Amino acid sequence: MKVYSIHKLNKSCNGRSILDIDHLELEAGRIYGLLGPNGAGKTTLLNILGFLDQPTSGRLEFLGKAVRFQEKELLPLRKEIVVLDQYPVLFTTSVYKNLEFGLKLRKVAKAERERLIDEVLDLVDMASFKHAPAYNLSGGETQRIALARALALSPKVFLCDEPTASVDVENQAVIVALLKQINENKNITIVFTTHDRLLAAGLAHHTLVLNEGRFVSTSYENTFSCRIEPKEDKQIWCRISEDRGIFLSSPKVESPALKSRLFIDSQKIDLHTGQTMPGVTNCLPGKVVQLMEESGRIRVVVMVGFLLTVILTREKYDSLRPAIGDTVVVSIPQDAVTLSN
Amino acid sequence: MDIFVDSLHSAILLVFALDREMLAIVMVSLQVSCVSTILAGLVGVPTGFFIALRRFPGKAMLITVLNTSLALPTVVIGLFVYAFISRRGVFGPLDLLYTQKAIVIGQVILIIPLVSALTIAAISRIDERYRRTAMTLGANRMQTAWVILFEARFGITAAIVAAFGRVISEIGISMMLGGNIKGFTRTMTTAMALEYDKGAFSLAVALGIVLMTLSFAMNILFHFFQGKYRT
Repeated sequence: MKVYSIHKLNKSCNGRSILDIDHLELEAGRIYGLLGPNGAGKTTLLNILGFLDQPTSGRLEFLGKAVRFQEKELLPLRKEIVVLDQYPVLFTTSVYKNLEFGLKLRKVAKAERERLIDEVLDLVDMASFKHAPAYNLSGGETQRIALARALALSPKVFLCDEPTASVDVENQAVIVALLKQINENKNITIVFTTHDRLLAAGLAHHTLVLNEGRFVSTSYENTFSCRIEPKEDKQIWCRISEDRGIFLSSPKVESPALKSRLFIDSQKIDLHTGQTMPGVTNCLPGKVVQLMEESGRIRVVVMVGFLLTVILTREKYDSLRPAIGDTVVVSIPQDAVTLSN
Repeated sequence: MDIFVDSLHSAILLVFALDREMLAIVMVSLQVSCVSTILAGLVGVPTGFFIALRRFPGKAMLITVLNTSLALPTVVIGLFVYAFISRRGVFGPLDLLYTQKAIVIGQVILIIPLVSALTIAAISRIDERYRRTAMTLGANRMQTAWVILFEARFGITAAIVAAFGRVISEIGISMMLGGNIKGFTRTMTTAMALEYDKGAFSLAVALGIVLMTLSFAMNILFHFFQGKYRT
């Protein structure tokens, strides 16, 4: 069953398109990780899915019905969804009253409210805070109470804006475990935004990448700011770090700016074991710092003066078997590189 | 210096003896100021709330006008209201002049802009996330507005306290519209002015002490409640 269907949805602000989605469908009971750099449109999309913001144009369907962005129509829809802010706020009253707020609005009976509040406080391991003032809690505790406040309402969809960004490692693990648990036990659809690919890979059933308001099939990783320096033989040098960069032929660049943005497609990068590859341009030696399995492929992060992500097929990985700390060489073909101003 | 010390001594005795005349004056002042503050709160808080949350053409101009009217002299308001409620005025037949009601009308006009402007400031300081949180938890517009009002409660209370302080210490309106009638419209400030004119400072200083004590007590009470919710 589809929770959301999006068709040609656009959101513009001051004439600038900040979200432009041609087609997207989200299935019920799944966890979706929304990845992308700052300003990619992740939070805007989350707000539209949470009916807190409306698109400029396009069609959004919720549970098979087209959504009309009018206050009267949105109110019952909002009761099926909860959006959890990146930095959630609790009302300046007690923890109990915070948890009771949404339940009261839904006219849940007093005894049932009490039971639900106890249940969700147990779930987030904060039962002893039931009558504590909410304005004295730490960041991690606030995040957990905000999570409990949302869960008490048993929403069909739970939209989390960077749920672990504002908490320490201990609370991160608690929140990730909680999200998994509520998805499995209560079959709640979860959509969360993050910059953390590791979190997305570990938690999400599906990962979606937004870049400049559009869904892209490639990773947003390997995007660097670079300084362009003209070289001989119609070549330019894209300096990424102090002594590392990439040579490109001039026709690749139409009107080179002094500073530019460079994107390297992680799937087109080649990885070799060993120290060097003589005679090949754009060969950068480095060390493997991270290995991760993701949807049947292997993500290798190599420190080549800057962190570069390489996606390997399972076969390629089996043939090379790189390990953490191994010295490797990455070769970057010209067609893997895109320059934008 | 001797006059001041003697007056202060007599004034303290008057205060502790709970002098009847002094108490009657204090009661009139409190009665008029409380009614004015309540009425101004009932009008000013919703007005400020509406202006702060709504977008409409001329909003910035309206806020500028409100801020400007904070500096409105009490005698101008006194004169303005007098023109309406004097015998020859539009509301002359209502016989309001030199009554407590007349003082209340003038004082309400004086502090509505103050309450509105401070409410606007209090509401504007509330984090946008409170509105979004209330909405995502299922609140309708009224319930969301109530949440914002609740979160701004200290700022709004401060507005009310400031308005009370303004009216209890004003003299122009009380004098011009109340007429300083003993036991009826004589307030602390008009009594102090009269006693000063008579050269009898004891009651004036005693009323001054009460006035300052009242203002101090109001602020202490406000800070006590505010302190409870400070993180």
